[in-house]
Amino acid sequence: MALRWLFRAMDKATLADKRYSFLFEPGPPDEVVSIDCETTGLDRNRDEIISISAIKIRGDRILASQAFNTVVRPRCAIGPEAIKIHGLREADVANAGPIAEVLPELLRFIGGRPLMGYYIDFDIAMLDNHVAEFIGVQLPNPRIEVSRIYYERKYGDAPPGTQIDLTFAKILKDMKLPLFNQHDAFADALMTAMIYVSLMDLKERGVRISRPRHKGVGDFHGG
Amino acid sequence: MNPLFDAATAPFDRLTFEEAESLRAAMDVAYFRPGQTIIGEDAPPEGLYIIVKGTVEERAQGELLGLLGPKDFFDSRALVQGAGVSTFVAREETLCALAPRDDLLNLINGNPRFGAFFYIDISRKLDAMAQQDESSQIENIMRARVRDLFLLPAAIIDSVQPIASAGRIMRDIDCNALLVKDGERIGIVTGMNLSKAVVLKGMTIDDPVGAIAQFDMVTVAPDDFISQALLLMTKHNKRRLVVKEGENFVGILEDINLLSFFAGNSQLVGGRIDHAATLSELAAAAGQIGGQIRPLRRQGVKFEVVAEIVSDLNRRLFAKLFDLLCPPELLNKCCLIVMGSEGRGEQAVRTDQDNGLILSEPVDPTALQKFRDEFSGALADFGFPPCPGQVMVNNPLWSRTIDDFIADFGRWITTPDEQSAMNVAIFSDASAVAGDESLLARAKQALVEKASHERVFFGRFAKAIEAFEPPIGLFNRLKLEEGDGDALDLKKGGIFPIVHGVRSLAIEQGLEETNTFKRLARLAEIGALKPEFSRDLARALDYLQTLRLDAQLDAAASGSLLRPGELTSMDRDLLRDSFQVVKQLRDLLRHHFNLNMF
Repeated sequence: MALRWLFRAMDKATLADKRYSFLFEPGPPDEVVSIDCETTGLDRNRDEIISISAIKIRGDRILASQAFNTVVRPRCAIGPEAIKIHGLREADVANAGPIAEVLPELLRFIGGRPLMGYYIDFDIAMLDNHVAEFIGVQLPNPRIEVSRIYYERKYGDAPPGTQIDLTFAKILKDMKLPLFNQHDAFADALMTAMIYVSLMDLKERGVRISRPRHKGVGDFHGG
Repeated sequence: MNPLFDAATAPFDRLTFEEAESLRAAMDVAYFRPGQTIIGEDAPPEGLYIIVKGTVEERAQGELLGLLGPKDFFDSRALVQGAGVSTFVAREETLCALAPRDDLLNLINGNPRFGAFFYIDISRKLDAMAQQDESSQIENIMRARVRDLFLLPAAIIDSVQPIASAGRIMRDIDCNALLVKDGERIGIVTGMNLSKAVVLKGMTIDDPVGAIAQFDMVTVAPDDFISQALLLMTKHNKRRLVVKEGENFVGILEDINLLSFFAGNSQLVGGRIDHAATLSELAAAAGQIGGQIRPLRRQGVKFEVVAEIVSDLNRRLFAKLFDLLCPPELLNKCCLIVMGSEGRGEQAVRTDQDNGLILSEPVDPTALQKFRDEFSGALADFGFPPCPGQVMVNNPLWSRTIDDFIADFGRWITTPDEQSAMNVAIFSDASAVAGDESLLARAKQALVEKASHERVFFGRFAKAIEAFEPPIGLFNRLKLEEGDGDALDLKKGGIFPIVHGVRSLAIEQGLEETNTFKRLARLAEIGALKPEFSRDLARALDYLQTLRLDAQLDAAASGSLLRPGELTSMDRDLLRDSFQVVKQLRDLLRHHFNLNMF
């Protein structure tokens, strides 16, 4: 934590484009941004973003109507495996702008708000590839990992040896949420937001997610 | 793709792709913790809430009206009117998608098909719903199989037999077509073939039938879809298909039976009842009454009309049975009546017998007893189960002289017990089906007369509408899993209060009508109910009865009750509307009959 603060301070000092100093100001209290990126593949160093969705959450409200949704034209080809996952083909992104055109608007949208997501580190790493090029520093926003809140609510008091399942489908199921079409950036960001507001209420009220009593039974449904 | 509402179900399926997309883009999602109020009483709603997860309670004046679950939406009335009468409270952790009011009002005004679902007026809403039903009805028909149809028997005659024999067999088995066996070949011959052969081709009735049989038969299997049968008939220009399962001939499918599957054949059944000369002929016709319900419902005919057709057939059946059994000692001295739902003409699926006999004067006890037993016994044989409350002709309490009946009315009216109230209810729904109708008219007049002098009776009588709470838990999945069918809930929570409430008003006003729909129309005519409210009640009753009828038909087919969880969101919304109308009626009657005093 302290280390991150130090990096932040250093980054703020080295921010190349001072117009983006608002990223270092705390956002409105009670607001976070649910963010999801679809990419050309899973290699953080080589693959690129092809779509981004960011949705503000204000208290108990998910402001889906003001969502930031965009498709991005990557510089590299979209892998066939990735097309199978998110369904975005070369033709679908051909008319989109490159990330450089999209980023300023995204950064103004998120401001200093914490960024929240499922495996948020990956999304931020993908964004940072470009943000660093663009403004000279990495995204300074606080991060919220939704699977960590879930872990804490469900397994925080679990005895050692408890089988742990943090798959997205399992989390949705526990939160009694329907699975919409996953791997659409907007749907993913929206589902993650729904999980988040539900979890935050459980946390506030001190409610835990129940665990099945029996142990060691494998889940063959993929979570 | 749309994660917030299901664009494939009503009413959202009526939006164009662009409209659905614009609505989706305008929606936010709100989280509510258990116990949190989503819409307060008299509060203007922000928009239409569509439940994504969780359970929401709808309450009015503290009373639980219903529970809503995922995909349900609320509160369409409040949305259009600007404020609702109900409070909505999250029962558990709940997420709702929220369609802003302005966006939704624009869609309602711009797309009449979509807008119809949000009218305040339940009648118009149900009409809009009825149109939607039509397409699914056709689909159901096309999924039925050949074995579901009425088939002519597959009687086989050898090709060397004379034309005369074929004619005689056709007459004996009452069937216009025979299969003709010619060595290994099988053909078909019809009555028309026989006539043409003799009249037009100059053949004699001793010529072999094989000479005129057609051997280019088209066959179908019992498991084939009837749509396939229809196609084969059209394609090969055949009026008959042979139904064959493996090597066995199962029957002959005639175009008329295919058509009657679509349209029902109630007129034929009616004719069969009227022409029956013996009990067994009448029994055969009686067995076909129940078969009319399904085709009628398949065509989307609503309960009110289905019940009218079935009641008409039942009454003709009773009248015919009366004609067949009535001894000379009773003729012109009695009136056969049906009571309860049968008397109101609101019975579709057969329940139990509710009938009686009013005599103008004492008659020969032996002849009377013989008639009583034969009549009730015959009906039981026809498949009308005996009445558990013994409201039947064979019970002397329900088959006696008009003077005896009238002498009892005073006790029925003044005794504050359930049985007396029940007797008044049953009798006030009575309709005459045979004999001297004036006897029933006189008896009813006496009943109304007695009641009108006992103001306190009406309060006690109408009080029964408060016996059952609105169907709490109807939509609650947890409760459903415990195996609660909805048929009972619909009846207690909606159908009974309407029927009984309207009955109370009808007795008070001395109406002659027994049918609830006709009573409602009459009550509106004489100004006892507002015309719009009367119409809403009629529509709500018809809707609840139709739902119940479909559940009953479903139960007959699959052995299990229809679960409300299988209803569409639209149906559940209409259910809530219907129960809302029921609640208004309860409030009105509570005030009108001063029910708080009882």
